[in-house]
Amino acid sequence: MSEVAIPVEPRNEFGKGAARKIRRADKVPAVLYGHGTDSRHLTLPGHALMIALRTPNVLIKLKGLEGGDELAIPKGVQRDPIKGFIEHIDLLLVKRGEKVNVEIPVTVTGDVVAGGLLDQQLIQVAVEAEATHIPSGVEVDITGLEVGTAVLAGDLKLARGVSLVADAETLVLHVIAAPTAEQMEGEVAVAEEAEEAETAGEEAAEEQPSA
Amino acid sequence: MLIPRRVKHRKQHRPDRSGAAKGGTRVVFGEYGIQALEHSYVTNRQIEAARIAMTRHIRRGGKVWINIFPDRPLTKKPAETRMGSGKGSPEWWIANVKPGRVMFELSGVAEPVAREALRRAIHKLPMKCRFVKREVGEA
Repeated sequence: MSEVAIPVEPRNEFGKGAARKIRRADKVPAVLYGHGTDSRHLTLPGHALMIALRTPNVLIKLKGLEGGDELAIPKGVQRDPIKGFIEHIDLLLVKRGEKVNVEIPVTVTGDVVAGGLLDQQLIQVAVEAEATHIPSGVEVDITGLEVGTAVLAGDLKLARGVSLVADAETLVLHVIAAPTAEQMEGEVAVAEEAEEAETAGEEAAEEQPSA
Repeated sequence: MLIPRRVKHRKQHRPDRSGAAKGGTRVVFGEYGIQALEHSYVTNRQIEAARIAMTRHIRRGGKVWINIFPDRPLTKKPAETRMGSGKGSPEWWIANVKPGRVMFELSGVAEPVAREALRRAIHKLPMKCRFVKREVGEA
């Protein structure tokens, strides 16, 4: 996995006022911790960080830190729920060769068998990998999986040097029988009947003179 | 229709309308979803109407999740009643939805079908909403 170099500045002002000032300047407040060191407060450029975070578990080389450059991975990203801009980021210090626990995305390839419906229970799976060689994801091919077949975390084909942290019995996905058009129509009809009965009941109650 | 089985208090104050959603702002169960862009009270009837609209469109296959529940009662005084004499009777069950909340999720259908199904469902809801897709790989 490639590294992304991002210049950082130390942050000395705290609180929502200072954080908002930083965000107005298209920068992101951040905190860096790990390896038992004291946490360090930083400011990162917003656009460069946003581009870097498009890669899952991107390895970030923090340039301009006191005491030399450091490597870090994103631990927690807070985004605005509507506009999507990054409000804050937690960075975890890592070293070359060090093993870290991360969550990698599970991507599905292939088409579901006719009459089947894919029910994906896990979209990310926890693994242990070398910090500089974190896989971008794990693929599951669902071509030819019959209805009723399940894929467990232990069945995932992980890259060399990557081990599973999650329970091997955890359900990742399974193929279930797709509801037919009749079943779905029936469900809608039942809901409509219930609504009509409720409306009729309310109208009858309104018509009755109050005591 | 969604309704609580039992409530501690039959009549409640009106829920707080300020702020944005603190959780449930991302698509986690399905592949596509409807995200609220404004605050609103969503009644159980509106939730049901939206569910029926999307279920009708997808016809077969597909799975729908409803992430909101109408657990708050709203009361109303009868028409032409003088003020006073206590709080009105419970009239609606509502979910207090704040901006950013993903209310419905859908999976198991192609994206164009999902877009159209969710567009139809959005028309049944009382606030501005948008179609969102699941994003993976972010801490």
